[in-house]
Amino acid sequence: MSELTKIIEGVRKFNKDVETKVSEVRADPQQSKEILEQWESIQEKVPTVTTPTGLQLPRLPLPVIDEPGAIARYLHGEGLPGQFPFLSSAYAEMYLDPLEDSIPPEEPTRLFAGLGIPEDTNERFHFLTKNQNSHRLSTAFDGPTLYGMDSDSPGVFGKIGEGGVAIDTVEDMEVLFDGFDFRELTTSTSMTINGPAPAIMAMFVAAARRRFGPDVIGQLRGTVQADILKEVQGQNEVLFPLDASLRFLLDMMEYCVENMPKWYPVSISGYHISQAGATPVQQAAYTISNGFAYAEMMRERGIDVNDFAPRFSFFFDCGLDVEFMALSRVCRKIWAIAMRDVFGANSRGQKLKLHTQTSGRSLVAAEFKNNLTRTAAEIIMAYMNATNSCHSNSADEPFTTPSEEYVKLASHGQSILLEETGLFRHMMNGMSGSPGMKAVEKSVEKAILDELEEIERLGGVLGAMEHRYQRSQIQAASYRYEKQIFSGERRIIGLNRYSEGVEKPVPELVRIPNEQKQKQVDKLKDFKKRNADKAPAALKRLAEVVHSGGNVFAELIETVEVCSLGQITDCLQEHVGKFRPMV
Amino acid sequence: MKISYIPTMKDQNTPRMPEFPVRLLTAVPLCDGHDSAVTTVNQELIRQGFEIVYMGYHRSAEDMVRSAIQEDVAALGISSYNGGHIEFFKEVIQLLEKAGRNDIGVFGGGGGTITPDDVVIMKQYGVDEVFLAGTTFESICNRLIELYGNKKVVLQGVSTDTALGQMLTAVEMKLKDRPKAGKRSKAKVIGFTGPGGAGKTTLIDEWVRGALMENPNIKIGILSHDPSSISQGGLLGDRATMIYSQHDNVFLRSMATRGKQGGLSPATEECLQWMVSDEAGFDLVLVETVGTGQEALPFTSDLIDTKVLVLHPEYGARLQLQKILMLEVADAVVVNKSDWAGATRALEEVKRQVEMRGCEEIPVFTTKASEHNDQGVVKLRNALSV
Repeated sequence: MSELTKIIEGVRKFNKDVETKVSEVRADPQQSKEILEQWESIQEKVPTVTTPTGLQLPRLPLPVIDEPGAIARYLHGEGLPGQFPFLSSAYAEMYLDPLEDSIPPEEPTRLFAGLGIPEDTNERFHFLTKNQNSHRLSTAFDGPTLYGMDSDSPGVFGKIGEGGVAIDTVEDMEVLFDGFDFRELTTSTSMTINGPAPAIMAMFVAAARRRFGPDVIGQLRGTVQADILKEVQGQNEVLFPLDASLRFLLDMMEYCVENMPKWYPVSISGYHISQAGATPVQQAAYTISNGFAYAEMMRERGIDVNDFAPRFSFFFDCGLDVEFMALSRVCRKIWAIAMRDVFGANSRGQKLKLHTQTSGRSLVAAEFKNNLTRTAAEIIMAYMNATNSCHSNSADEPFTTPSEEYVKLASHGQSILLEETGLFRHMMNGMSGSPGMKAVEKSVEKAILDELEEIERLGGVLGAMEHRYQRSQIQAASYRYEKQIFSGERRIIGLNRYSEGVEKPVPELVRIPNEQKQKQVDKLKDFKKRNADKAPAALKRLAEVVHSGGNVFAELIETVEVCSLGQITDCLQEHVGKFRPMV
Repeated sequence: MKISYIPTMKDQNTPRMPEFPVRLLTAVPLCDGHDSAVTTVNQELIRQGFEIVYMGYHRSAEDMVRSAIQEDVAALGISSYNGGHIEFFKEVIQLLEKAGRNDIGVFGGGGGTITPDDVVIMKQYGVDEVFLAGTTFESICNRLIELYGNKKVVLQGVSTDTALGQMLTAVEMKLKDRPKAGKRSKAKVIGFTGPGGAGKTTLIDEWVRGALMENPNIKIGILSHDPSSISQGGLLGDRATMIYSQHDNVFLRSMATRGKQGGLSPATEECLQWMVSDEAGFDLVLVETVGTGQEALPFTSDLIDTKVLVLHPEYGARLQLQKILMLEVADAVVVNKSDWAGATRALEEVKRQVEMRGCEEIPVFTTKASEHNDQGVVKLRNALSV
């Protein structure tokens, strides 16, 4: 039995305990008095803000309740922003304009970018961050890199730099982040890489060490996705058998916990599960159960929950279905209860920290400019869920790696929402707590718990995976989704509704010229030539660590100095095997 | 590939599925894991009566072409999402040409990333059809029957992948006047059966991996079965898992049961005769049944030298075991997934059952086929290869 049973029972008990507390407070005059006083004092402390039009508003609007039971239900069941169980948000302030004399917070906008060769993506990073006070770089890799292959491998030439940046060596990694200072607190880096995450992360660390010296390792801020469970369930970028993949991942996580206090070594991702076709509830249930599975594995390695739990982060998809009004809110609550009551984590470890991306699947090629509106609706819902950071998709994504024009529109969409509109900058909870949102929360919570029960019945996350449970559920949902589009039950404007039926021109396509691709191949060949005498010994040492049970990640940081990604993948596959896909 | 709806005129003459299901191979190219569209289209095609050999994702052009030839499909369907499609499809077509197999069609899809301009280029170099975003399931099915419903075979012995592939098609299609297989070779023939989920496919692939490591010149043939559905379509998905069997020395044919109960196809016996003929030249032939029930006795053929029953630990309950008929005739029993809780107990139960039936000489093995270089598989292979 995994911990899921305890978690499901824990959440149900929490809900029951809240109601018990409500009854107690109502029945006991002393408790009633105390909670009314507490409520009054909370209200008194809320500052008033003045909007540009001169309107006075509370910085934290609170529900209009004055009955002790209702107050108890709110404070214990939902919590104030930044308080257990963090239903409304992980932190107290989120996107508010800072009060006078305080430092401007990091922008939550974090745009994913990657195209062509490292030089191209570096240029895009500078373009994206030029107006931001913080530099939040988020990297997409090309197909060969995602599969741990070198740019000079047979059959991959056409894929070099398409849909993401090509990274073969530590030298590419140096170029990729050229001009960004990793020692600064305003720089953070995110890398969307999974199957080969340990090797790519090792290149990142080694490149930073080359540029800023060894002390920089402890200062590196950011995230690597590295979520191998969701890869097996939905996204399919897996290089090694699951056991070996998990071991390499846990080695990396352990290293980061010990040496990189500002790094999030895993981003537990529902995005790809959702994009592969899962319903919102499936996305939530599979993702948080994956998170619990990682927590159990880290605990089995003897790492203290308070050392690893605060280092987990999450990544959700936000689409247009009504569940997305509150999906992440509910996940935050379930996570908090589980981490406190089942894993014994402290407050930092209870907080589910969340990156959200709008749904690529919801965008369509037909009359593609409508995608701007779809994404706009999705970012509103993402921020209603108090996401800690957000990527908004570009409208041209059904066709191409985004062009600068549409990337800018996507980024500015978020700025308009957060800076121009008054929805999020003056007050917290502007969009929380409505009867509709509460109804969605209740319904979604129940459905997630039911789904977790099903996973537990199949033997927990790994047992269910062995039965192909998550994959077949996702595929069935995807098939239903397409059927609904054909039948018209799922309405898509410009496609099965209000279509003008005329061919619309497609946007400008970003394709990587063959000369750039060749340049990448040539650089790699040069690297291999220069290191030809050192690489075999480095790979031999790596293989020894694999067999001796040492920390593979720590060794990889050295291996990448002289070996390419493909050389490392081949070596590891020779020793631990290749992943046999489940379909 | 995103599939979306564009209202289309109902075809006046909807093409009909021919007498034998159209066999197609579908796959996602190298460095691409976007399989949501292809699995969705697969499901619909199966419902419409196609036999789909599905290779999965991240597959090279070489693997696709070798598979298409061995499976002798009417066409190869490629779902490409993350770019490089112009180069990839071209590579596939060139490899098919090189193998003299232009008769195998190529079609594809990929959502908005393949643009109408790209399609013009792709059709110029030989792609039959590209289904763009907006194509309905119905028009995909109709177009595929129209393009590939008239499969032809040329019979030219069985000494190459192309020849053997086509001969097996002739057997499956019950072609009149087809020749009879020649003299039996020395190929060792091993049949694997057992309930669904026991890990037969992985076990065979791990066996093949080990056998190729030990003897790089060994030639292996595999007949792998999956059930046909009521629609007569079927998903033949073993290739997706058997990655080490994608090898020039390995001939892998996926077969649908086409209405026959018990684990094999009506064509299996005759296909096997060809596989073990001198001309085919295999050293080892492996036959995998579909996941079978308790009463199944699939290996009635004299051609099978060794019958292996593969179980997973959850089949260890005594009463259940008593009902498995294969236990009485198997030459070896394998308890796979030996890392599962209950594996030790399952092994004891299986041994007891075997003893109670007076078949003490039947060896019982434990394996964890999903583990690279599993020593249990090595032992099994060494014991049964002689």
